[in-house]
Amino acid sequence: MTAVTAERPEAAAPAPGPRALVRTVLLVHRSALWFWAMLVAVGAGCMLWATGPGADAAWAEYRAMGCFSDQPSLGCDMPGLAAGRYDTVASFGSAILGLTPFLAAAWAGGVLVGRELENGTARLAWTQSVTPARWLAAKLALPAVLLTGGTLLLTLLHRVMWASDGRLWATIGSRQWYQSYVFEANGTLATAYALLGLAVGALAGLLLGRTVSALGTAVVALAALLSALSWLRPFLWPARTLVAEDGYPPYPGPVVDEGAVTATGARVADPLCGDSARCLADTGVTGYYRDYHPSAHFWPLQLVETGIVLALTAAATLAAFRMLRRRLP
Amino acid sequence: MTETAIEAAALGRSFGRRRRPALDGCAFRLPAGSVCALVGPNGAGKSTLLALAAGLLPVGEGALTVLGGTPAAARERVGYVAQDKPLHPHLTVGETLRFGRELNPRRWDARAAERVVDEGALDRGTKIRALSGGRRTLVALALALGKRPELLLLDEPMADLDPLARHRLTATLMADAAEHGTTVVMSSHVVAELDGCCDHLLLLGAGRVRLAGPLDDLLAAHRLVTGRADASLAPHTVVESRTTGRQLTALVRPEGPLGEDVQSAAPTLEELVLAHLRAPHAAALRLGGTREVAV
Repeated sequence: MTAVTAERPEAAAPAPGPRALVRTVLLVHRSALWFWAMLVAVGAGCMLWATGPGADAAWAEYRAMGCFSDQPSLGCDMPGLAAGRYDTVASFGSAILGLTPFLAAAWAGGVLVGRELENGTARLAWTQSVTPARWLAAKLALPAVLLTGGTLLLTLLHRVMWASDGRLWATIGSRQWYQSYVFEANGTLATAYALLGLAVGALAGLLLGRTVSALGTAVVALAALLSALSWLRPFLWPARTLVAEDGYPPYPGPVVDEGAVTATGARVADPLCGDSARCLADTGVTGYYRDYHPSAHFWPLQLVETGIVLALTAAATLAAFRMLRRRLP
Repeated sequence: MTETAIEAAALGRSFGRRRRPALDGCAFRLPAGSVCALVGPNGAGKSTLLALAAGLLPVGEGALTVLGGTPAAARERVGYVAQDKPLHPHLTVGETLRFGRELNPRRWDARAAERVVDEGALDRGTKIRALSGGRRTLVALALALGKRPELLLLDEPMADLDPLARHRLTATLMADAAEHGTTVVMSSHVVAELDGCCDHLLLLGAGRVRLAGPLDDLLAAHRLVTGRADASLAPHTVVESRTTGRQLTALVRPEGPLGEDVQSAAPTLEELVLAHLRAPHAAALRLGGTREVAV
């Protein structure tokens, strides 16, 4: 053994190199990576079909039903078969983006980390020539890159679908830009949440070290974070205000707050006076306001939330590495 | 060359506050190039000691030096096979070897690994999950040997092997140790498995070192005596004695010539170990350059 070690400088680059680590992660987790590739392909296929032939068929049907005019006509509330098909396929495309963070969390918690700790294969890796920290880094980096690539591609296609079929969606569907699954799928949030899922899963795996409990905890924790953030979402950017004197102003977008205003401009709870002038005079209400987000707030809202989600992702990743260090010398 | 493969000083490790420590004040020194049997009853701390040496657990108390550094620093030069022989079940034998090659690029010795796999006549395309326990052990050992370690830590390596495979594997390990000067530490609670292949012995009991040192010296330090039940064994240290009717059998550490009223013989490894296991309170004995630490 002297002959072997003496020639080898101890301070050489850490072995194995990043490429070997990537190849190892590909080798060990290839079925999951194939599944992700398949999911992206299905999602992309759905959205491409919906954008092209699906939308054309829905329009043709709409015209054939005699509904096509500038105003949606009352008799055309019931969508036809082609419109239904369009709706299903387009929703499925969005759903894949919405589901990806949960799949990532379940997989990272259960398979990527939890199972390896439970059945000892993590120890197998740590007794090769790779330090545990590099092992975890490789196991997080490759899935992160593939998740980012896949979700960005799907987001791009979703934006194309949204842009080209906007009128169709407004006509036959009831989708709005601010609905969660549209909002997330049309911007950077789908990617950010997928990465958060990966990090939360890895942290749960390292905390619990068991496949099933880590999987469950990761999914529940991600769901809690997601619902907290979507509750917080309207407050992430200053809303615009509309004020009207005769009743409430129109409904131009997602409403953050609404109520009555007095002559001094103070906001008060709506006294529910109706048309009663006496009631209005008694309460001093001179008009009504609505705080809302116009569609121009899409990107500011999107980017602020993305920043928060990425910060949470970084924190979870850091915590995961800390947990690993606590487990090991 | 690192003169000392493993050195422990007052080494302790606990799991949970309420439980008895898995290792408690262990001190021993294992010279490089030795083949050491790590023996002890279930729960003696064998697996804990091996995991500590492999850098898989933080050292609780005391110090553990592996190949002249910390266990974590020696990671690249240490091979370790855990008791449950963890492998990725969905990989094939060939892919598992690739796993070893990728993760040990500077050390990988494909021939050493292939030799072990070929011993079990294993098909490279068979999935690990389709292999029997014994064959899985062979793949795990191939992975450890392919790393060409300077120190090989084997936790119950023979448990799943049939006698023939055990014999072959022992020969492979010994050949490897002789050829490359690899230090081997092999744990077992079946002493017979280790007889004839080890030159060092480390006997653990309840987390403490009971016996440590070169096997020949340890055997030479003990005598198995038989005599009449009223025979006096003073001033020798009696490890364990039993009387059957009027016959006395004892394992002693002679402090001088034995009396003429007893007959004595050299104990076998199994007799030495069993006597110490039956007498858990017998004094510990460390031989061969180990710093004496009061137990």
